[in-house]
Amino acid sequence: MSSQLGALVGAHLSDRRRSLLAWGVPLGLWSAFIVLIFPSVEDALSKATRDYPPALKEAFGIGELTNVEQYLHAEMLSLIVPLAIGYLAVRAVASGLSGAAESGRLDILLSAPVSRSRLAAASFAATAVELAIVLALTVALTGLGSLVSGADLSLGSALAGYANVWPLALVFAALGMIATGFSLRTSVVTGSVAGVLVTMYVIDLVGRLDPDLSGIRYASVFRYYGNAIEDGIDPIAFLGISAAAVALAALGAWLFDRRDLAA
Amino acid sequence: MAVIETDGLTKLYGNARGIEDVTISVEAAEVFGFLGPNGAGKTTAIRTLLDLLHPTSGSARIFGLDSHRDSVAIRARLGNLPGDFGYGKQASGREALSLLARLRGIDGLGRADSLAKRFRADLDRPLGQLSRGNRQKVGLILACFHSPELLILDEPTSGLDPLMQEEFLALVAEERERGCTVVLSSHELDEVERVCDRVGIVREGKLIAVERLADLLGKTQSRNSVEVEFAEPVELEDVRAIPGVVGAKFAHPTLEEIFLTYYEGEDAQ
Repeated sequence: MSSQLGALVGAHLSDRRRSLLAWGVPLGLWSAFIVLIFPSVEDALSKATRDYPPALKEAFGIGELTNVEQYLHAEMLSLIVPLAIGYLAVRAVASGLSGAAESGRLDILLSAPVSRSRLAAASFAATAVELAIVLALTVALTGLGSLVSGADLSLGSALAGYANVWPLALVFAALGMIATGFSLRTSVVTGSVAGVLVTMYVIDLVGRLDPDLSGIRYASVFRYYGNAIEDGIDPIAFLGISAAAVALAALGAWLFDRRDLAA
Repeated sequence: MAVIETDGLTKLYGNARGIEDVTISVEAAEVFGFLGPNGAGKTTAIRTLLDLLHPTSGSARIFGLDSHRDSVAIRARLGNLPGDFGYGKQASGREALSLLARLRGIDGLGRADSLAKRFRADLDRPLGQLSRGNRQKVGLILACFHSPELLILDEPTSGLDPLMQEEFLALVAEERERGCTVVLSSHELDEVERVCDRVGIVREGKLIAVERLADLLGKTQSRNSVEVEFAEPVELEDVRAIPGVVGAKFAHPTLEEIFLTYYEGEDAQ
């Protein structure tokens, strides 16, 4: 019944068309701004970063800021984009499940011959597409910024850097689905998973800052995130995180299938 | 074969009251009404039938299929209007219908446009811009547009004006003529009296009576009503004062009066 899945994904994206722009355009403009200003701040940045404490540079994955890719990673891809897109992922998946329950839409959809697990799968798939569109929009505006400024940004590298956020964010979408198995209140789902998102980021940060605590990084998915804009996408990490996200989403769909949907 | 059969259907959750030991059988082309005040358990009964709530014990079969295991196959043959209908604010009724039609594998929107004309419903405005009554009309159309074999309607006339309530009652009668089985819940006793073949009275989660409406009305009338012809006009108070005469005001009891007999003394409890 792939037509059902297609219909549900299409409806989800149609409902969230404003959100696509509301997230993609500001992130893209911000990213484009970083690229735009790079030529004028390049020399000052190189001088400044040489004086940064090594631990700080290690923590935020900052090497020498001698090219625009390094600057984009330090300013956008090491903190802002993964946290923002991770949060967007939770909101998107919740809108298709707990949000639909709160608005009454879930009751209507479940009066049709569609299983709950298919509904959950559609919400996850639609979230994956939504994230891809937002990231593509961000890359497009970033590329535009590079063209205007002559910053000599490698579009392939930028694409790799932003695409690398996608599986990471899907993990948090999947955790959102699991949270929906326990609560149909969107505020509870987004709040709890946003807490996990920030906690995982902090765990990874602490693990990087203190070598004695580096073991705790294994408790965080950020451990496997890397620096794809400079190093390229690590296919094992990319596929591994994606597979973990799908497995967690399947668990979330199972929990959603088993729970009561009270009025 | 019964369209709906439940056996000891029970749903208990936390401290909230659910339903307990509900056993009913609803025949094809029958209009069955769940009657009870708010919180009695009508909505829980309906949501358990629809597999939105999983029963604590007991079972339900619809079209001879298990209400949980075969839920998808069952829902292919029914239409449902939830209580307090909502669908979000941005989508229009037509967008909601288009999605449901695709999920049901239907080309086009069935009889949605003719129903919209009949109920004077606007299918093209975002639902968030419609009044509660106009949203309810869209909800009714969503439940009926594909001409299902079974209609399950939770408080269907909620928010409708009297003219549209009349139209709804006419529609239910037509659906029954078509062979559709209708299960509805209501605390609007007038509409139940006019449209239902049988009623189940729900009190505190328990089904305390299931009877054909005609039997219920006849039984109560024969027990409580009396016709007395006087040669002269009399005051009702004088009639009531005659030893052994009770319930003179119940000469033509309404369903509401009958219903309330099931709740007599509840306030004192």
